[in-house]
Amino acid sequence: MPPEPAASGYYALSNLVAVANALECRGVTVRYDNVVALRDVSIALEPGRIHAILGQNGAGKTTFARVLAGIVRPAEGSVLVDGREITTGNVLEARRAGIELVHQSFALPPSFTVAEAMEFGSEKYGQWPFSRKTLRSRWQPYLRALQIDVDANAVIGDLPVETQQAVEIARALVTSASVLILDEPTAVLAPGNVKALFSRLRALRDTGVTVILILHKIREVLAIAETVSVLRAGRLVEGPTPAAATTTRALADAIVGSKDSGATGFGTDDLAALTGVGPAPVPAVEIIRAPEQRETLLTLSGVVTQSDDEGVGLSGVDLRIHAKEIVGVAGVEGNGQKALVRALAGLVHLSAGRIRLAERDVTSSSLLARRAAGLRVIPFERNVEGLSLSSPLWENWSAPRLLLDGFAFINPTRLRNRCDAALRHWDVRFASTSQRAGSLSGGNAQKVILSREIDDDARFVIAAQPTRGLDIGASAFVWRALRAIRDRGHAVLLISSDLDELFDISDRIVVIASGHIVAEFQPPYRLSEIGAAMTGAST
Amino acid sequence: MKGSVQAILKPLTYIALAISLTAISFQLIGYSSPLLAKSILEGAVGSPDAITNSVRWALPLLVTSLGVVVAFRSGFFNVGAQGQFYAGAIAVAFVVYPLEGLPPAIMTPAAVCAGIAGGALWALCPAILRLTYGTDEVITTLMGNFIAALALIEVTTGVLKDPAGTGQSSSTRPIDAVYRWSDATGVSTTLILVATVCVVVVWILLNRTSFGVLAGLAGRNPTMLVWQGATEWRLGCAAFLVSGGMAGLAGAMEVLGPNGQLISDFLPTDGFTAILIALVGGLSVPGSLIASLFFGGLAAATLYLPIMAGLPSSAVDVINAVIAILITARAWPKGFERLLMFMSPAHD
Repeated sequence: MPPEPAASGYYALSNLVAVANALECRGVTVRYDNVVALRDVSIALEPGRIHAILGQNGAGKTTFARVLAGIVRPAEGSVLVDGREITTGNVLEARRAGIELVHQSFALPPSFTVAEAMEFGSEKYGQWPFSRKTLRSRWQPYLRALQIDVDANAVIGDLPVETQQAVEIARALVTSASVLILDEPTAVLAPGNVKALFSRLRALRDTGVTVILILHKIREVLAIAETVSVLRAGRLVEGPTPAAATTTRALADAIVGSKDSGATGFGTDDLAALTGVGPAPVPAVEIIRAPEQRETLLTLSGVVTQSDDEGVGLSGVDLRIHAKEIVGVAGVEGNGQKALVRALAGLVHLSAGRIRLAERDVTSSSLLARRAAGLRVIPFERNVEGLSLSSPLWENWSAPRLLLDGFAFINPTRLRNRCDAALRHWDVRFASTSQRAGSLSGGNAQKVILSREIDDDARFVIAAQPTRGLDIGASAFVWRALRAIRDRGHAVLLISSDLDELFDISDRIVVIASGHIVAEFQPPYRLSEIGAAMTGAST
Repeated sequence: MKGSVQAILKPLTYIALAISLTAISFQLIGYSSPLLAKSILEGAVGSPDAITNSVRWALPLLVTSLGVVVAFRSGFFNVGAQGQFYAGAIAVAFVVYPLEGLPPAIMTPAAVCAGIAGGALWALCPAILRLTYGTDEVITTLMGNFIAALALIEVTTGVLKDPAGTGQSSSTRPIDAVYRWSDATGVSTTLILVATVCVVVVWILLNRTSFGVLAGLAGRNPTMLVWQGATEWRLGCAAFLVSGGMAGLAGAMEVLGPNGQLISDFLPTDGFTAILIALVGGLSVPGSLIASLFFGGLAAATLYLPIMAGLPSSAVDVINAVIAILITARAWPKGFERLLMFMSPAHD
């Protein structure tokens, strides 16, 4: 295509990219304090292709993207563009080398107009005077060239999420990026928009841009990527392998680290969902058990919630939990776990569905009423939702009782003594009940929450990531506590991203993906099956 | 124990630092700092009259600051104490004048109720906006201050205008002495009794009721309390209403006490100094009591300095301002930075 006049075709798509660069990492190791996020990762990515990096949450995918983009400086190793080593840990340097990152959570200022965001991202940044009109005339053709249907004067915060993402990509390309990294770009998109994104990325690839996609869904990867690489626990365990030369099963095994790969088979439904030929999501594989007369403590029927800034909502969840069982919820993080807990706690509006607790319909009951009926919550965020770190232990411990009693006179000494006795019973290491909750270690803080939530009236306990950040000893303590609740005839819903934990203590496991319960498993659990359900069986 | 010692030492450090800084700056611009310090002391506690004066200023400040303590502890930065103070005073005027003739035994409780209700109602609007729509209460309560100040002018120049007024200042006509809680000195058994009851009630509310504990938790981490099943509505409303009610009661004390009538623009910084007192007092009731006496003393000295010692009363303003800056530097509670931005014009 001949170059068009500067006035209109200055930013024609074909002019965006001059050279495609080969990208290479050698022996990259990243440490955050004591945690090794990436371990000796060496990888070479061909130019002008779409590469996918797969892995579970915490596998090091985002860290890898940040190393490439110069946000994180690796402790060891180097990054090479076109065989030339670039200074690591320097965003400007990475951008000069043509590497641009589109963040998982968008990074453009929401109060800016699209054109303003482009202007600030461009090399001509600083050209003035600015006016809405000149900015628009400068950037509208650019957006049109990228086939982004948006008014350059629209305010970013007002745009639908898929358009925001398109604008993020457009912004990344302003500097003539030759390597575009997208961190979990599909996480925020509806299925239809994923297709649009993919065709946009293919168009970019065709102009010579190297696209690196950080993803965790196998289905999506196979739909677009030309090579696939897998990170697990900070190591590169696979790839880059041509996408055509691998299978969903091999990838699922690589992602979750199944050792018995091949020995266990996927169900046909699972495979269908993974490869995307069957109708997704897969209906739950109902395993009929000998009908046992157990009291149903909790029933969710058709529960739907809206997605919000806390993550994906629930789209029709049916779940029954009986007395004397621990039900594990497995799933890649961000697939509706938070919505599930908040729906159960009555902290989110249900667009549809009912929730029954024991014999009562609690759909429209407040959390306080649900607590009175025996619901207890160990929330995800121990230090925010679980405890007030700057408040004394006894206040933290007394809160639920005080709330249930309503306005009343109290005797602080008595409350302190009761708290003291409870904390000792739960083996919390503390000096005084007047001590701030924030002065305890993570394990001890979690024990404070357990001692508060697991009282004589607890009938149904939601435990959300109860052992996150805890050492083995403290974790074992939590597990014992959860088993004790079950053995007392109550029920536990355990939400965890640690599959070993789920396997170890769950009486059955349900898998949540994109706000659906997509599968249910009974022991003995097979890592590959559950891994497959987690990573692929969703759109 | 260590905690409470710290709680006393910290504000004392701020005060000492503030006085030193003021002394240095006034010395540098040509005043005698020792004379200044001596005059402030004389003006505050140098004579029986000075002490009476200090108490007179301390009483409304104390009652107002107790309300601020309740709101701030609960995590609501009600900076509208000034407006709620005026609203209480206006409400009292609207009860006292129409009911003139009733025995004081009926009038007094009616006036107390009117003052509390006036202040509480003035706080209710920001409370509803905050709890329903999340509107920043720093903005709304502050705007309430301006509206109340204008309402006060409207009332004293309009419906309740003193027909015998000279036009020099707008006010209502004097209230019959039988209904007054004190004479012009502003110190009386009744007023001290009212303030004492307030101290006791608020102390019990904060330290011996479930509200106090829950409000403390809500102020430090509302999210945690939500996960325990608390509704922000009930706690928040209670905090706002108590806070406004206290300021309104202080307004009643002024109208029926030293002023004996509703005067436009009376005690224009009471509500703001009360915030300072609550913060210097570490959001505790005993702390506020002590801090009120200190700031009451400073207020008395403000009047003493220019008249008796020929020194600028702005010295006291500077002390107040430096304390405010130092308290802010502590960076707690979080909303205080926002507040200080708005406070500065009111101190002119």
